[in-house]
Amino acid sequence: MTNKKINWAATILLAIGALAVLIPLYLTITIAFKTPEELSSNLFNLPKHWMVSNFTNAIKTTNFFVALKNSIFVSFFSVILTVLTNSMVAYAIARNMDKKFYKLLYYFFVSAMFIPFPIIMLPLVRQTSTWHLDNLFGLILLYVVFNLALNTFIYVGYIRTIPVELEEAAIVDGASTWRVFWKIIFPLLGPMNATVAILSCLYAWNDFLLPLVLLSNPDMATLPLAQYIFQSQFSTNYTLAFASYLMALAPMLIVYMFSQKWIISGVMRGSIK
Amino acid sequence: MSRKNVFLVMTIPALLIFLVFHTFPAIQGIFYSFTNWHGYGDWQFVGFKNFINVFKDQQVLDSYLFTFKFAIVATILTNVLSLLIALGLNAKVKFQKTLRALYFIPYILGMLIISFIFSFIFSKVLPDIGQTLHIQWLSSNILGKTSTAWLGIVIVSVWQSTAFNTILYLSGLVTIPGELYEAAGLDGANSWTKFWRITFPMIMPFFTINMVLAMRTFLMAFDQIVALTGGGPGRATESISYVIYKGGFEGGQFAYQSANAVIYFIVIAAISIFQIKVLQKRGEQY
Amino acid sequence: MKKRLFWGLVMSVFTALLLSGCSKNANNKKVTLELFSNKSEAVGTYQKLIKEFEQENPDIEVKLTTPPDAETVMKTRLTKNDIPDMFAMSGNGTFGELARAGVFADFSGNQNLEKVRPVYIDSLEKVVGPTKKGTYGIPYTPNANIVIYNKDRLKELNGTVPQTWNEFVALLKKAKAAKITPIYWTLNEPWTDQSPWNSLEANLVSQNFAKLENEGKTSFVKTHQKVAKKMLTLINYGHSDNFGKGYSDGNTAIGKGDSLFYFQGNWAIPEVLKATPKANIGVFPLPTSNVPGKTKLASAVDIVLTMSVKTKHEKEVKKFINFMMRKENAQTFIDDQLAFSTIKGVDQNNEILSGIKPYFADDRITAVMDSYYPQGMGTASLIQEFLQKKNTNAFLKKLDSEWAKTLDHQ
Repeated sequence: MTNKKINWAATILLAIGALAVLIPLYLTITIAFKTPEELSSNLFNLPKHWMVSNFTNAIKTTNFFVALKNSIFVSFFSVILTVLTNSMVAYAIARNMDKKFYKLLYYFFVSAMFIPFPIIMLPLVRQTSTWHLDNLFGLILLYVVFNLALNTFIYVGYIRTIPVELEEAAIVDGASTWRVFWKIIFPLLGPMNATVAILSCLYAWNDFLLPLVLLSNPDMATLPLAQYIFQSQFSTNYTLAFASYLMALAPMLIVYMFSQKWIISGVMRGSIK
Repeated sequence: MSRKNVFLVMTIPALLIFLVFHTFPAIQGIFYSFTNWHGYGDWQFVGFKNFINVFKDQQVLDSYLFTFKFAIVATILTNVLSLLIALGLNAKVKFQKTLRALYFIPYILGMLIISFIFSFIFSKVLPDIGQTLHIQWLSSNILGKTSTAWLGIVIVSVWQSTAFNTILYLSGLVTIPGELYEAAGLDGANSWTKFWRITFPMIMPFFTINMVLAMRTFLMAFDQIVALTGGGPGRATESISYVIYKGGFEGGQFAYQSANAVIYFIVIAAISIFQIKVLQKRGEQY
Repeated sequence: MKKRLFWGLVMSVFTALLLSGCSKNANNKKVTLELFSNKSEAVGTYQKLIKEFEQENPDIEVKLTTPPDAETVMKTRLTKNDIPDMFAMSGNGTFGELARAGVFADFSGNQNLEKVRPVYIDSLEKVVGPTKKGTYGIPYTPNANIVIYNKDRLKELNGTVPQTWNEFVALLKKAKAAKITPIYWTLNEPWTDQSPWNSLEANLVSQNFAKLENEGKTSFVKTHQKVAKKMLTLINYGHSDNFGKGYSDGNTAIGKGDSLFYFQGNWAIPEVLKATPKANIGVFPLPTSNVPGKTKLASAVDIVLTMSVKTKHEKEVKKFINFMMRKENAQTFIDDQLAFSTIKGVDQNNEILSGIKPYFADDRITAVMDSYYPQGMGTASLIQEFLQKKNTNAFLKKLDSEWAKTLDHQ
């Protein structure tokens, strides 16, 4: 394979295809920096004067930093809790698949992947608010619960490839099951933990429906919800709207720029399982 | 604590929380689908009335038609495009890493914000181009016409989802050993036969997963509907989730839409199982 | 070493986030009231008045909530039993439904009602219906379904404000011939088709329609033929992308003179002026008949001030309502919003609105009927679909069947 020549036809086609990804991003960035007059006179040019005031206005209008803080708060804790709890549950299941209860549990969790959210949406909204969970904490809790379905599937598949002998040796040395999990299994799960962390982070960061129906206080809005809430106030002011969109997309884009290799390989690993 | 008990302690709390926040609401939803509850106030049992009404409700039937038309077209397009891109990226191309990174960007961006951005592109940018180049069909907002609005939703959804499916295909393609191709090359197979005889059978499991995942995601479309059309024009682009949300909360049809959701669940589960069964069988034939 | 650094970092982010998440409610002895509004156009004005109110009452804090799709959000919150302290919302069908469900407090006997012209109190009570006696809010402003016109364009056509339907259509033809866009439709947002529909329906259909339709004694097919026909006439005089443009596009277009007419409500005028501060515009009610002077202005209560029956801060809410009802504040509100007031002696003198002022002064108004439609019927979307398909009979039949269906499913 290595001695093959570079396939220029494919390269060119891919480069042209990449424009479909780049043009919308280019428009987003340039519009965010334009004045409304400039926008109406020419859509595709680079802005003549880079308007930073669009961003300061958008920060004020949408309460950007509050939404940013909420999004970080929710994503951070749902990732941490998802990785810690879901891996532990999966470990217990994976090591007991010969027992009826755990086998049942496995299929019970995994089959939840096929339950569409709308069927639980209406009752869930009532339930969470009765229990005063219609806030960021409730959101985190629900993400951790909803993640369990897919992650049980991913983790159990992976844990079963880890030889039991490793643990048995430790147990003979007198280590407790907890210790075995935290000291031996959890570190071995490293690559899978990364995959799960990436997937659940993207889910929590970009989700719109659950915050929409769950949160009632606009001070708790996450970034996507904030874009929706302030949609009506952007009105004709497209440059303001785009500045706000760009700021909402930016944190993830920046993280991606620095860790794209890690993220892509993380997602690929998840898919091979 | 015995090893057995530790395992129980590891799983029981998770099971309880899961029961409370997933299973219990689902059961409640099924329960209420047999009542006439608004979401507040009094209620009574009404038997299968809601289910019968769902089947008679043109709005619901239309939303199923739209959702399926959209999901099938979007699933096929996404898979064709992502397979092509993955094949390209897997070939020996220049700037491979950069291109791969570029193609993956849409996956990390949220559907809602992407849809807002595309909404502007459809209403301003494309008509602008259409008018300058005097292309009739392009010079008005495609989201504005009953006949074309669904295409706008397909475009945005495919744009966002192709990234993830590309990565899945790519991870399948890299597992194919190069020797297979070399052997086929000696037999004089051209690249077309190589694809159908070697590549495709080898990535068949990934094809299955991709079809199931993409279909499932598209059948649940919500964010893009809210941001692009709000279900319009008329009711041309109301997805099933959107009808349940709108009717359930705004229309005071809590019980009625619960019945709709139960049917929706049965449909999704049936399709997923069907897809897995059929595609797996075909995979085994190779 | 690296690992320890990583976990240290994680832990510090963890604590920082926890602290920032919890510190919100400390040292807060103020009473916080939530004001729920469905008027995004009025956010600035509310905020201005709220600021003044808070200066007068340093122990009360008012938080304004104005989500998009406010009625869905409100009902979602109702489902959750999470009800704002007070509302400034439209006196429409949703208001009626919530009042009947016992969400709002009864204001019967409240001294503020004495300031309000009785016609609006009647109108509000009609929306709630006879099954629930009481006055469930204080009407604050009435709205008007109107035609906004660009004075420069009208002058170019040597036209005058039309008094009859035929004159109106003649102007549309003239504009079309002169290559001026006659009507700037913004049907990408379906609700904008309700302004002409409301004007036509309120003038051409009996006010008993909803009651009779509920009892199955009449139908859209029987009563709405003329309304539908006139809507189809109007859609012929649009621009090239009637269904691709939205509310904000229309507000910009009419101000700049991209079209002669624009169907909206008076609430759109501040938005038009925001986009084009020097817009040369005027307004008139859509003439629906050919008898001059017979057309009435289609109006509904645009803002009702009301209170949750469950609020823990009744005293403070009433303080705020009293504040809003003071003449000078009501004046500020209608001056800012280019609205009219329900309060006797608070007049709108802006030149732009002179075309509809006499209608309010002489009570030449007729109630918008969509407040009596079953909620969640989605009339606007059905009209939008009709304007594309132009299938009158199928459309009217669908309205009838959707009406029955919506009543049945609730």
